[in-house]
Amino acid sequence: MKLNIVKYRVLFLCISALMIIPCLGTMIYSCVVSPNHAPVKVSIDYTGGTILQYGVKTDVTTDEMAKLRKKLSDNGINGAEIQIINVNNNETSDIKSLISIRTQFIENGSGVDKKITSIVQSEFKNAQLDQISSVGPTLGKELFTNSLVALGLALLGIICYLTIRFQFDYALAAILGLVHDVIFVCGAFSILGILFGVEVDALFVTAILTVIGFSVHDTIVVFDRVRENLRYYSKKMSFGEIVNFSINQTLARSINTSLTTLLTLFALYFFGGVTTKNFVLAMILGIAIGTYSSIFFCSVLVDIWDEKRYDVLKTKRA
Amino acid sequence: MKNRIIMFWAIVAIVLVSISVLFSKPTKFGLDLVGGSRLELQAQKTDTIANITPEMMDSLTFAIKKRVNAIGVAETHVQRVGTDRLIVEIPNISDLDEAKKMIGDTAELEFKKNIAPEGQKENWVSTGLTGKDLTSAAVGSSQTGQWVVDLVFNSAGTKKFADLTQALVGKQMAIFFNGELQSAPVIQEPILEGRAQISGGGENGGFSSKQAKDMVDLLNAGALPVPAKIIQENTVGPTLGSDSIKKSETAGAIGLGLVMLFMILYYRLPGIVADIALCLYGIMLFALFKHINVTLTLAGIAGFILSVGMAVDANILIFERTKEELKAGRTLYTAITSGFDRAFTSIFDSNMTTIITCAILYWKGTDIVRGFALTLALGVVVSMFTAITVTKNFMLLIFGTKSLTHPFLFGLHKDEIGTAYQVTESKKENAKFGVLD
Repeated sequence: MKLNIVKYRVLFLCISALMIIPCLGTMIYSCVVSPNHAPVKVSIDYTGGTILQYGVKTDVTTDEMAKLRKKLSDNGINGAEIQIINVNNNETSDIKSLISIRTQFIENGSGVDKKITSIVQSEFKNAQLDQISSVGPTLGKELFTNSLVALGLALLGIICYLTIRFQFDYALAAILGLVHDVIFVCGAFSILGILFGVEVDALFVTAILTVIGFSVHDTIVVFDRVRENLRYYSKKMSFGEIVNFSINQTLARSINTSLTTLLTLFALYFFGGVTTKNFVLAMILGIAIGTYSSIFFCSVLVDIWDEKRYDVLKTKRA
Repeated sequence: MKNRIIMFWAIVAIVLVSISVLFSKPTKFGLDLVGGSRLELQAQKTDTIANITPEMMDSLTFAIKKRVNAIGVAETHVQRVGTDRLIVEIPNISDLDEAKKMIGDTAELEFKKNIAPEGQKENWVSTGLTGKDLTSAAVGSSQTGQWVVDLVFNSAGTKKFADLTQALVGKQMAIFFNGELQSAPVIQEPILEGRAQISGGGENGGFSSKQAKDMVDLLNAGALPVPAKIIQENTVGPTLGSDSIKKSETAGAIGLGLVMLFMILYYRLPGIVADIALCLYGIMLFALFKHINVTLTLAGIAGFILSVGMAVDANILIFERTKEELKAGRTLYTAITSGFDRAFTSIFDSNMTTIITCAILYWKGTDIVRGFALTLALGVVVSMFTAITVTKNFMLLIFGTKSLTHPFLFGLHKDEIGTAYQVTESKKENAKFGVLD
């Protein structure tokens, strides 16, 4: 297999643009429309609130859900968000679905949680409170700032490392590549949030940071090859040819590594715990796009920037 | 060759030690996996407390510890974080509401007197006598057979109580617990021996035995020096926890199986070597987790399973390189060693970026994020050892300086060999990469 990426570089940049623009659009739309003015639907980790999760032994119909919603608001619990999570059944438990109720932060001792539990149990006979997560509103804000700080620091750390190891233009290409990936994953979650109510929690930031690491990792392998090949072939090939050749040499590795990582992630997604599902989904999307960007985006950028400079350098030397 | 055999036995020794650790130490699972409750408390400033001092936090920690222990659950943890927070972890809890009540209660006992003129509604004011003046509290019963709480004052308390009762003979004195009126007996005569009794709230006629016991536990544990509020809670029922463990095991086994299968199908014999290294990776990493007491959470397990996929990355880089070298017509020995040497910079660079992100996550993240970062970072470090040192050692022990008679073993065709670009290297580079031909 031999891909001619450099030849179709404009096409690949267009594909990237086609992926990024809708993502950015949705994120801006979500910023304007959503109650928190965030680009993605944020969970209680960042807004503060309480989630009560009940396990029930039957499937929950939409009718039953509507009834529960009405009963909750009749009892003065307003703005509660109810979600049903289907559990893939196995022999360890006979719980079929999880009812997750998200409300505002329930103060300890206010009794609201007990009230909700009794309402749920009056609707569903065997409902059993399985999980309570609660985050105070001030703590939520703090977690949010912390996450952004972590994200900023990680970017800074990677930029420093790359600039030391490579020339600045390579580092910049790698960074643009990871920005490309982060926008894609956030955009995808923004869309999922609007369509299916998928929320972004503290673990999501972890997934993003891991994706950043992975994406840079992939790009480094390609750039390392370009640098090495420049030493050996600079007299025989043009810059574009060297970039193309390097991409093709590392192609099998890039795809195989992503594949093995994706295999484990898919196993986690389909067979793993419910709590980490969105986290794993973010990683799946991120690693797929990270592989794409290191092959089709970062290398193309370096090719476009360095082509001229490199050729000038070569003619001077000759 | 001798070095390689020494290395081989060293690897065997490490694996044996790891296995013994695996069997001798229990796995520490997080509360999200075994079920339990994790509460984060924040000390609250009040009108009288403008600043939360470290001393206050120390006594708050002490008081909370005593209370949590009074619940009688084994392996509870109370830990201070930051300047004004506490993390309380209670595994396998049966009655969470009870626990939360015990933790959050300020347990303020106050003796108050009435300053309203006769015939008007009572107006209770503090007398300066509080729960701090107590030596101990105990459950007792009154002459009428009701549950009561017996109080014993310390010397300062005895004095205050004696003075108060002297001044208030024939008048009411009220006992407030957490701002609630418990009882307001009329003082018959001065009480000098430093003992008092609280009988239950007036309208429902006395305490239940449980109410009395709770109050005694709280009073003995001491009032909280500052009020503390629960600002974060994560409680997982035991069924959900064990379900998560089961599912993670399944996911891990399937993930590992798929990766191993892929490596064999794509890389053949080197793939088998990488699979062995991968198994050793799993054993060593898990042993390391147990040795340094890493608490495995759901996110941590996800990090572990993810690192399995990433651990073979180094092998993929190396084997791709080896295949290229073989295609370029190198001897088998050269192809293997230069495959390792040349892939090393890439492996090192990429692992460095992962470690940078993990370090930042560990530094800035919440507990759940930290668990993930720690397992992933340890995974990366261990994988550097297994994927490079272990695989190289095994490959060289198997092939040594033999020539490649069956290209099939490397997933190559005979006619592919020697057809790739010929790289011209300087003598210096030849020496560096250990090229013999």
